[in-house]
Amino acid sequence: MDNRKEERSPARRRKGRFDVWTTLVWVGGGLVYLFLILPVLVIILSAFSPNAYPEFPPSELSLRWFREVADNAAWMKAIGYSLWLMVLVTLLTVVLGTTAAYGISRLEFPGKQALLSFMLSPLMIPQVVIGIALLYVFTGIGMFGTMAGLVIGHMIVAFPYVIRTVGVSLSNLDPKLERASMSLGAGPVKTFFRVTLPLIKPGIVAGGVFSAVTSFGEVSVSLFVVSPSNMTVPVRIFNYIDQTFDPSVNAISVIFIAVAVIALVIIERTIGLTKVM
Amino acid sequence: MPDSQPIKKYRYHLFSWIMLTPGLIFLGLFLLVPFVLLLVISFRDVDGFMNMLPTYSFAQYVEVFTSKFYVRMIGTTLWVALVTTAICILLAYPAAYLLVRAPGKGVRTMLYVFLVSPLLTSVVIRTFAWIVLLAQNGLVNEVLLKLHLITEPLSLLWNMKAVIIAYVQVMLPFAVLPIATSLGEIDPRLRQASMSLGAGRLRTFFRVTLPLTIPGMMSGAIIVFSLAAGSYITPLLVGGRLQPLLPLAIYQQVLQVANLPLGAAMSMTLLVLVGVLVAVMGWLLRLWEGRMNG
Repeated sequence: MDNRKEERSPARRRKGRFDVWTTLVWVGGGLVYLFLILPVLVIILSAFSPNAYPEFPPSELSLRWFREVADNAAWMKAIGYSLWLMVLVTLLTVVLGTTAAYGISRLEFPGKQALLSFMLSPLMIPQVVIGIALLYVFTGIGMFGTMAGLVIGHMIVAFPYVIRTVGVSLSNLDPKLERASMSLGAGPVKTFFRVTLPLIKPGIVAGGVFSAVTSFGEVSVSLFVVSPSNMTVPVRIFNYIDQTFDPSVNAISVIFIAVAVIALVIIERTIGLTKVM
Repeated sequence: MPDSQPIKKYRYHLFSWIMLTPGLIFLGLFLLVPFVLLLVISFRDVDGFMNMLPTYSFAQYVEVFTSKFYVRMIGTTLWVALVTTAICILLAYPAAYLLVRAPGKGVRTMLYVFLVSPLLTSVVIRTFAWIVLLAQNGLVNEVLLKLHLITEPLSLLWNMKAVIIAYVQVMLPFAVLPIATSLGEIDPRLRQASMSLGAGRLRTFFRVTLPLTIPGMMSGAIIVFSLAAGSYITPLLVGGRLQPLLPLAIYQQVLQVANLPLGAAMSMTLLVLVGVLVAVMGWLLRLWEGRMNG
């Protein structure tokens, strides 16, 4: 900061022009961030508003929609179902993704890059395509509408995140540590559990957070494999917005924001927000 | 010791393969196999009741590529994705600049929270917020009415503009983060050199900063484009069922019309289109990086 000021002082004539541009960029950038956070602000405002459509500025605060959600058995059932699903998907994806990321990072073979791209491909494939493909297969083998089907669908979408976060942790790992463990007589299994695993924990935790958030909010693939009797929260919200307008959705949305906040805190404490992408 | 080395290496490799296998089996069974099956059924014929017939032909693809309706839809899909990408990139530069130049750690963390929180909030929720904002009796209309800027509520929802606004908000972080990384890597002396040689701020940006952030910009553009071309939840809820977008039409063909082979053929078309365009952008990026590095 200080040395920049020093350099500018000789060109005092231009200083005014410089500041115009800087101010413009700062104002513009600030507006972009406001635009980014706007939906979250709107949801919080609506959730505590007593009317179906929120007012601005809000006239009074109310917990009416929260009570309506708590009194609604169908919403509570969906929340329970979504939470179960989230736990299962997170555990399974973390185990499967961590082992796969470890395996591929320690091997050299022709086609390794292609295989890695395949493992990351669910990030780029339109989710409508994944949904249809799973719908067809699950209908064929009688898994349509089952919880296992939903778990698999969510795992496919969450898998690349774990591969990426664990992969980053693995590539930052000093290979000398593993070699030292091996040369001291520990086998690969012992080395993995005693040396590698503790060191890549931040990547695993971050991958887990992404899996949990992905599963809890997933709707694009879920819509194709979900059964009408056992709906997840996002699918229920989708149906409500699509067909009617239920203001309870406002209150439910706050739960999602709370989940996002928890996720943010965990990410910041483990790998740091700045290294998310 | 020298004798045990190959055995150790073999055990190490074996262990790595054992670790990799379950993940590969999972993706093979539930990603590759379904995908191949989808490709196969895209060549199946259907009868008048949308039942799949045992015969194979290019009929579904012929329908996709010869009907004016679908050809125009492909064009609209790519156009909307392109516009979304362009707006995202344009807005991402000032946002990335703020992130890199943020005074103090607290401000920077706050900006990161703003950037990452949309990625962590379900797409249904963000889309729902846009409905609350843009509806006839929504917040934007209410504020405009109270300020007496309009006398009657504007219809802001159920059109392509609403889709693009929601898309930009949902996908902007994917453009900001890589551009910010590129910006952060630029040696500040380069800019200082340019300005001390008499170039103004604008000229320095276009001649020095912008070219150096092309890699970040392109990787952001690739992600935003593929997401914008392949989403159906946001256009369905904000734009309405009738928007001529390919992913939305696929969803309806499969779940409402129940014409799976046509839906499959459209899916393959979408996948190939996005794949080809993403590959072209990647190729341009490598070409640019090759030129930059000599």
